[in-house]
Amino acid sequence: MGSVLGDWPSYDPHNFSQLRPSDPSTPSKMTPTTYQPTHNRTLPPPDQVITTETKNILLRHIYQRAEEKLRPKRAAPEHLLPEHGCKQLRASVQDTPC
Amino acid sequence: MSIWNYVVTAHKPTNVTHSCVGNFTSSGELNLIIAKCTRIEIHLLSPQGLQPMLDVPIYGRIATLELFRPHGETQDLLFIATERYKFCVLQWDAETSELITRAMGDVSDRIGRPTDNGQIGIIDPECRLIGLHLYDGLFKVIPFDNKGQLKEAFNIRLEELQVLDIKFLYGCSKPTIVVLYQDNKDARHVKTYEVSLKDKDFVEGPWSQNNLDNGAALLIPVPPPLCGVLIIGEETIVYCSANAFKAIPIKPSITRAYGRVDSDGSRYLLGDYNGLLQLLVITHEKEKVTGLKIELLGETSIASTISYLDNAVVYIGSSYGDSQLIKLNMHPDAKGSYVEVLERYVNLGPIVDFCVVDLERQGQGQVVTCSGAYKDGSLRVVRNGIGINEQASVELQGIKGMWSLRSSTEDAFDTFLVVSFISETRILAMNMEDELEETEIEGFCSEVQTLFCHDAVYNQLVQVTSSSVRLVSSITRELRNEWNAPAGYSINVATANATQVLLATGGGHLVYLEIGDGVLTEVKHSQLEYEVSCLDINPIGENPSYSQLAVVGMWTDISVRLFSLPDLNLITKEPLGGEIIPRSVLLCAFEGISYLLCALGDGHLLNFLLNTTTGELTDRKKISLGTQPITLRTFSSKNTTYVFAASDRPTVIYSSNKKLLYSNVNLKEVSHMCPFNTAAFPDSLAIAKEGELTIGTIDDIQKLHIRSILLGEQPRRICHQEQSRTFAICSVKYNQSGGDESEMHVIRLLDDQTFDFISTYPLDTFEYGCSILSCSFSDDSSVYYCVGTAYVLPEESEPTKGRILVFMVEDGKLQLIAEKETKGAVYSLNAFNGKLLAAINQKIQLYKWMLRDDGSRELQSECGHHGHILALYVQTRGDFIVVGDLMKSISLLIYKHEEGAIEERARDYNANWMSAVEILDDDVYLGAENSFNIFTVRKNSEGATDEERGRLDVVGEYHLGEFINRFRHGSLVMRLPDSDVGQIPTVIFGSVNGVIGVIASLPHEQYVFLEKLQTSLRKVIKGVGGLSHEHWRSFNNEKKTVEAKNFLDGDLIESFLDLNRSKMDEIAKQMGVSVEELCKRVEDLTRLH
Repeated sequence: MGSVLGDWPSYDPHNFSQLRPSDPSTPSKMTPTTYQPTHNRTLPPPDQVITTETKNILLRHIYQRAEEKLRPKRAAPEHLLPEHGCKQLRASVQDTPC
Repeated sequence: MSIWNYVVTAHKPTNVTHSCVGNFTSSGELNLIIAKCTRIEIHLLSPQGLQPMLDVPIYGRIATLELFRPHGETQDLLFIATERYKFCVLQWDAETSELITRAMGDVSDRIGRPTDNGQIGIIDPECRLIGLHLYDGLFKVIPFDNKGQLKEAFNIRLEELQVLDIKFLYGCSKPTIVVLYQDNKDARHVKTYEVSLKDKDFVEGPWSQNNLDNGAALLIPVPPPLCGVLIIGEETIVYCSANAFKAIPIKPSITRAYGRVDSDGSRYLLGDYNGLLQLLVITHEKEKVTGLKIELLGETSIASTISYLDNAVVYIGSSYGDSQLIKLNMHPDAKGSYVEVLERYVNLGPIVDFCVVDLERQGQGQVVTCSGAYKDGSLRVVRNGIGINEQASVELQGIKGMWSLRSSTEDAFDTFLVVSFISETRILAMNMEDELEETEIEGFCSEVQTLFCHDAVYNQLVQVTSSSVRLVSSITRELRNEWNAPAGYSINVATANATQVLLATGGGHLVYLEIGDGVLTEVKHSQLEYEVSCLDINPIGENPSYSQLAVVGMWTDISVRLFSLPDLNLITKEPLGGEIIPRSVLLCAFEGISYLLCALGDGHLLNFLLNTTTGELTDRKKISLGTQPITLRTFSSKNTTYVFAASDRPTVIYSSNKKLLYSNVNLKEVSHMCPFNTAAFPDSLAIAKEGELTIGTIDDIQKLHIRSILLGEQPRRICHQEQSRTFAICSVKYNQSGGDESEMHVIRLLDDQTFDFISTYPLDTFEYGCSILSCSFSDDSSVYYCVGTAYVLPEESEPTKGRILVFMVEDGKLQLIAEKETKGAVYSLNAFNGKLLAAINQKIQLYKWMLRDDGSRELQSECGHHGHILALYVQTRGDFIVVGDLMKSISLLIYKHEEGAIEERARDYNANWMSAVEILDDDVYLGAENSFNIFTVRKNSEGATDEERGRLDVVGEYHLGEFINRFRHGSLVMRLPDSDVGQIPTVIFGSVNGVIGVIASLPHEQYVFLEKLQTSLRKVIKGVGGLSHEHWRSFNNEKKTVEAKNFLDGDLIESFLDLNRSKMDEIAKQMGVSVEELCKRVEDLTRLH
């Protein structure tokens, strides 16, 4: 038993070193200051206001599958000319919706 | 009309729901962060213990609290998600000591079924994404980019519909979750999924494990090097990973909380539903798990959260009892426990019922709550203000002043108490037997009234009378020197400290003396244009026995003036305005800040910030303490200075977080007070009140005092009976004897002073106490306790049988006088027109109290009203009955005497699931419902049609964010009938989170004013994490969200007083009133609670 109960982790050995058990009948009175922010940084940077993408999961799947269907056809050159082909592929994918 | 309501917290939530530990405030500091539903608290670990740093209100109910550290950050960030689907990421800015918002957002979906088992929010250990499970069948992902910024969230379909827990696995090259779920045959399994951020989809994970413990409900991910997951069941604990499976049986138990001990994940603390704390150890050889071990450590409060802090100290957060700081010892104590409780933090939650009583008969309400659950059940006596504990008292009429004196300068304790009367001065002293007896100080003049006394340097005492200042040796008690007032002038007011005397005679003569060894020297004289009403030279500078400032209050021009000492040069003149003269002035310093306090003859108190070098007075504030003249005196208790304001409404003024606070003293009227610190009664006060001199000690200085009566069982209903001076409670005792668990329901009678159980009435097997009432009946002068019960049988969905028991308290015993069987659960009992009104399942039933021929009594059914789903909460007023239904909101019934019938008059047609109702006035009723909202409805008697008259109009709506179990009329503070605040009717509420709050019905004009103030404050005091106050307070349930109306957030309004001066000025300008006026109006409101 002693083995599992010893050797408690210590981040800073001083922590709690001066704490003595208080009288159990008198509860501790911890009254931290109440925080009332009046500064302007309670609002996050504009690009960090997060929302959920509106696209329905099903539609996203359909689009993804459609993309995957397109991919093998054009993926062929990728093996031959990886770098070049990749660039071409992106351009062509971007063009398709138009 | 009680339509315009003000909601304010008297006691903040204490139910600890979450906690976590990390380096939040700096990379080198370790913090404990605690969530108390709608607030978080930030603490710092220190050698002295937990050091509170900040209490942060959150505009939401916290569903998830996690610390995490994105790549490249030196300190942890805090992720908070709320039950209403908002989230924010907070960072501590150590430079400004502010919380800043790194990110926030809305993670709600338009469609989706909210999860039954609560919301889950988890963060990938590699910080690649945040995962949220908020709706059945959906897993929401908020990805991080490589700079630690959050990106747009997306949903992934999750096949498992009944999810019990989800955690991220450690040590996976792709983010991987483990899902604990239940299938449609109620079997439980775990499954893993990799989250593919590119495809926005799950990929089948590395492993799964079917058919686990039927009670498995908790997953603990194990960090590297072991990795994998622990699955905590009710009878087994399993360790599971891609290549290992280890299981151990445990004693049947439900684990409620866990805390990881070692960073390598080899030890965990587990807390169960009975408060047992166990240590779970993963034994391993290097990185190979070889087995599991579990050891019982001891008992704590029932934990809702466990955080290992440092050096064997652990924080136990509790929802059902007090939270604790415990130490894990190497060796067991005499009871075999390894747990030592270091600190206890009061938790009132869940408050399931309470009553408002005036136990000390002082005209001030105290709240007695049924708090806690299971073994941690308790009664808590909550009262406002500071109590004086009487040690001794003597009858003494006509006291005009009191001062304590020491027998030598070096003496640590006071010896003499000088009591002055209109034409004599008497001296009391502690004798050898520690009794107060009359004595003499020969050098004092005892045939006249004393104006002032003080200890002086060189073992001397000073006495000022209307004709002279006498300097007396405290050793020989003989006169050493005397300064006589000029002929024809008498001294009106005087003050002194150890080395100085300042006095004023008629004609506006101000005289300054200095005290030497056996000599009084007149140093300066000054002629003022008016008479002096009061003065003070309390030293607040560096020298504790010499003041460089004197403050003088004036008649005629109604001003206070500051003079420099010793030259009596005028530094500052501050006109007070108005026609009321200052009666008492005091220089004092709290927490290093100097103040000038000035009390007026009408019970008002002005306070100013005082610049001791320039004498400049700023930040004038005015508050109303009472209606009679106030006398100010300092005293110290536990090495802190306080000011006692003696008046018809005695108050202690103190400072907390550099803000002056005012706390009522539980005494009716105090004319004089002086500290009297004797060896026998250290830190005591001598108090003159109502023809009596009392020596008493003072409570700890704080606004609310809570006395805990731990019961070891769970009280569910409480009621007070004035006549028998008892409480009666319905209570449940949970027994655990060797695996057998049973519960026993009892009615207990308690003494209302000692709270001892004085009588117990056991209920039948399966019988629950549901309601309790103290009442009397027509044609019977006796007072009874009535108890409503239900037989809760496992096979019944609703009880079909119950009882009403009528008890009388005889010789301190509960005597059953009558009993009546009912056809369901008696959810509520009310005294009604000398009869008993019961709510029994879907019915409201009225019973008469009948005298039988044999002289015995019985309850006889008179009439009833059907038409509810379950009539749970009933309040009555005259012939009107207001019913709160399980799911059909509020309805109004009327009892018709002639017909002997109860009929429905009107109802609210909304489908609110009620948790409490109360009648505010004849026409307006207050309700609380289970989506944490409160609302008011109004009877529409003037409606043109029957349809209109039959409808209760919703007039007020508000999201409180608290689940209210009970409303009661009453007040926590002493109400002065002639003050403005005394006219405002209030209702007290108690909530599951342990909140005690006050709902005050304001006059319309005041409501409009405060609404404007609230609107201004919303712009100045920002929501932490960018959360909106307006959104937070909007009424919200499954069916609708509408803006709050006719309720004001008193917590926001009263935080005006915490603003700095420039922000106050800004708001006052917008409001078009002076800061002083605005402060006073808000200070007045704080005196409602």
